[in-house]
Amino acid sequence: MKPATEPDSPARSKVQMILRVNGESHDVAFVPHKTLLEVLREDMRLTGTKHGCELGECGTCTILVDGVPRLSCLMLGLESDGHDIRTIEGMAGACGAHPLQTAFAELGAAQCGYCTPGFLLAAEAVLARDPTPSRATLVEELGGNLCRCTGYLKIYEAIELAAARMQKGTPDA
Amino acid sequence: MKAFKFLRARTCGEAAQLLAKNADARVHAGGTDLLGRMKERLDTSDVLVSLCDAAGLDQIRVETDGSIWIGARVTLAELAASEACRTFLPTLAEAAGLAASPQLRQRATIAGNLAQQTRCHYFRLATFPCWKRGDDACPVKEAGGVQDTAGIFDGACVSAHPSSVAPVLGSLDAEITVRDAKGPRPVPFDAFWAAPKPGIATDTILGAGDVIEAIRIPPRAAKQYMGYAEVRQKAAFDWALVSCAVRYEIVEGAMHDVRVWFGSVAPAPWRARLAEAALQGGACTDEAAAKAADAALAEARPVAGAAYKEHLARVALRRALADAREGAK
Repeated sequence: MKPATEPDSPARSKVQMILRVNGESHDVAFVPHKTLLEVLREDMRLTGTKHGCELGECGTCTILVDGVPRLSCLMLGLESDGHDIRTIEGMAGACGAHPLQTAFAELGAAQCGYCTPGFLLAAEAVLARDPTPSRATLVEELGGNLCRCTGYLKIYEAIELAAARMQKGTPDA
Repeated sequence: MKAFKFLRARTCGEAAQLLAKNADARVHAGGTDLLGRMKERLDTSDVLVSLCDAAGLDQIRVETDGSIWIGARVTLAELAASEACRTFLPTLAEAAGLAASPQLRQRATIAGNLAQQTRCHYFRLATFPCWKRGDDACPVKEAGGVQDTAGIFDGACVSAHPSSVAPVLGSLDAEITVRDAKGPRPVPFDAFWAAPKPGIATDTILGAGDVIEAIRIPPRAAKQYMGYAEVRQKAAFDWALVSCAVRYEIVEGAMHDVRVWFGSVAPAPWRARLAEAALQGGACTDEAAAKAADAALAEARPVAGAAYKEHLARVALRRALADAREGAK
């Protein structure tokens, strides 16, 4: 990365950075005041990460940074240096949809769908820590993701279905 | 968002040097407050000095004298999970773990939590006039309806400091280490807060070249009784409408060295000295809590829409004292 501690660097000149996104390294140039959300959507064309309130009040821009759910609207692109970023585009594997994605589709856990990428990634992080979460754990851990269609029950049920299938090793049956 | 230069400090000392060289700079760490204000153009600084890489500021240490040192960049999630916090400062771990949402707790820092600006809805939206932003009018004083961000004390500005972690730190007699280009200086918790002034957004004594380096909790010889309670509208992802933190010791069956601090009731975390005096030397009972609440609230002067917070403050104090008494902590 270009040394950002240099006081004379003009605020509007782009910095060149290697971003590690969904397991691949990308060479990206962007202005220093861009949020990671803006860098992902505008400079990398990864528009699966949704742009909501931009103030940390809705959770729809949630991505995983080193496996932990983070708000990409309140993180600068510059701060992603050296971290492993995961967006919804990286969720499906070579064998197709992730079990969470399959369960969300089957159970209708998406209504307007705007909160779905954030919920899926936050849910993936919960299951990575706790493969059989209680409903109370899900409610607590997903408390930062709002669904304005208020479809919470189906979202919890879909995550529980995916968790059960992942335990049995049968991703979509 | 407005364009800015982003300067990464490698140490807190370097951050202070960078701040001295850039008069208009702001300190950045978690960004959960600052970036929101910059997006709304409430802050138009050209330079951010970031602590995001600053060495050591993400640590919680139990020092040899028993004091606890918490680096400025320690997040609310780290406070909530920290073994040292859960063991020695359980009310701090509890308040931090209840705040905001999981994602925000991963970002929001203890220093930023203290230095954050008011969450008054009118202050946060540049389209409204605001006394804190230099206008004559204050929409809160004229508005009807329920006011969730308004306080009940100190009328110059009715907006309340929103932190629920701050009253806990007050109850623990926390000391704030503030650094500028000349070096670090300790600031007692009481002295960290500045009275509201027209056109001044900040609620603290932090000046242009100042950066918070750490929070220090002094050691205690005697067993501590600590309690915390907050009242809010939603079970998750919400601000406290009122929070209350208490701490005391027991000497011959009576409360001693009592601290009572409220959050979200005044422009700064509010120490209820009259409540402390009422409790001092007595037993910790619900009756004592009610008398202490009467003493604390004698000075309350809420705007109409925040009058309900007087009742919430009574409830929060009773619950916080019960929490301490039950000795779960």
